[in-house]
Amino acid sequence: MNGPGRLVVRRILLPLAGVACVLAFWQATLSWYRLPPIVLPSPWAVATTLAELVRTVAFWRDVGVSLFEFVCGYLIGVVLGVALGLLMGEWRHFRMAATPAVESLRFVVPFAWIPLTILWFGTSYVGKVLLVAYAVFFVMVVSTTRAVAQVEPTLSRVGTMLGMNPWRLAWQVHLRAAAPMLASAARAAAAIGWIAVVAAEYIGASAGLGLMITNAATSLTTSVVIGGMIVIGIVGAGVSAAIGALSRAWLDYR
Amino acid sequence: MSTTDVKVPCGQAAGERRAAQSVADVHRGELVVDRVFHRYIAGGRPTEVLNDVSFRIDPGHVACVVGPSGCGKSTLLGLAAGLLRPSSGALRWDGAPVAIGRNPHLGMAFQQPGLFPWMSVRENVAIGLRTRGQSRRDARRVADEFLDMVGLADFKDAYPNQLSGGMAQRVGIARALALRPRLLLLDEPFAAVDAFTRLKLQQEFKALLRLDRPTVLFVTHDVPEAIALGDAIVVMTQRPASVQRIIPVSREDRDRASPAYARKLAETLECLGVTSDIQD
Repeated sequence: MNGPGRLVVRRILLPLAGVACVLAFWQATLSWYRLPPIVLPSPWAVATTLAELVRTVAFWRDVGVSLFEFVCGYLIGVVLGVALGLLMGEWRHFRMAATPAVESLRFVVPFAWIPLTILWFGTSYVGKVLLVAYAVFFVMVVSTTRAVAQVEPTLSRVGTMLGMNPWRLAWQVHLRAAAPMLASAARAAAAIGWIAVVAAEYIGASAGLGLMITNAATSLTTSVVIGGMIVIGIVGAGVSAAIGALSRAWLDYR
Repeated sequence: MSTTDVKVPCGQAAGERRAAQSVADVHRGELVVDRVFHRYIAGGRPTEVLNDVSFRIDPGHVACVVGPSGCGKSTLLGLAAGLLRPSSGALRWDGAPVAIGRNPHLGMAFQQPGLFPWMSVRENVAIGLRTRGQSRRDARRVADEFLDMVGLADFKDAYPNQLSGGMAQRVGIARALALRPRLLLLDEPFAAVDAFTRLKLQQEFKALLRLDRPTVLFVTHDVPEAIALGDAIVVMTQRPASVQRIIPVSREDRDRASPAYARKLAETLECLGVTSDIQD
């Protein structure tokens, strides 16, 4: 097969085949067990609901709120996480001081903080932003520390030989050499951050995709629940792909 | 390294003689390794690498260090560069102890070239000039000049992962030379190139040295290379290494067709435990 034809198969047909399998399984399940729409609506019913949803302002406001909370928290978490990770990687005494705190806090999953954030910040966006930042922060701290420690020692010697001071060495050599590893960590962190936003909204929020879904669940509009879940998945995948594309654009040197 | 120095067993005697001289300028461009010991901790126990190493390189001279693999030649370079601190003893440059960290007089080519993979070949050579305060334009121009000299004119915009091992080493050499260092440290810079290219590079390298006449400490495995490039050969012993012998090399010794060359080669190899006639 010729080049463009193969691209169509790889980029469009194969992914569509995967989605079709999932939809077929879904339809088969509800036909087999004769489930009522309130338990499991058909893919077609969900698609119709989604088509209606995307025409409402409220839906886009919910998506916007969730994305806004995510982006703010994500940026804060990545910047602070990389900064602390770099310090820990560069400065042995600081690493010794910070490691116990970091190691024990990072196993306290973000969700364990949800009750406290609601207590402290209510249902406002501040709690969600902090939660995302928290989730992302620890992923970035740990991977930055590790990535900086793994930088080829010759590169450090070369940097010193060329006249770089320790700050410049950390910034221009260590961080740059660690960047590809940081990019993949940032992508993994995005998934965790996005999950954290939605989870926090499920429990207590005044707007957002999570709230939209819990509201729909209480009024038993199951097709909105599932439609919302699909939107969460699509937005998450989109965010992850965007971060992947950004890091490729910045980091590739081939 | 001067021939007079070779006769004096280096170390204390040389140190005392120099102490009598008061003018600092006398030591300009001179590298002194004075009773240096070095050990590091590996797997919880200390390993002796250098055990009382002393020698001296006169300004503008080339000393080639040869010795068994793993005897600490690279450690010696690291010490001279100020990248490592000796366990005891001292290294002096321009009459003052070598500072740990940055040393603006220094250029060094490493065994693994250590190019920054995210920079083009040109940027790799220019970055040192930039950190040492040159303008972007000047750094670029000088980098291009030196890349031309090592025969990489067509690869300036390439990235390190597109280069062969030998080419990468040449970039490393260009990067060190472009700094126009007064002290040049080289760690087997021609190790990754084929025998023929190696001979060519040695010739070019000699010509490059004539440009600035830096003081050179050159680590190599290759005795013919040491004779071709060195004013003296520092023969190291097994680890923990000390200086076994310092062999002066004169102009005549470098003529590969001459008996003097053969004698120098045999002498050096014998120091390293290789006898010159292979018996049937």
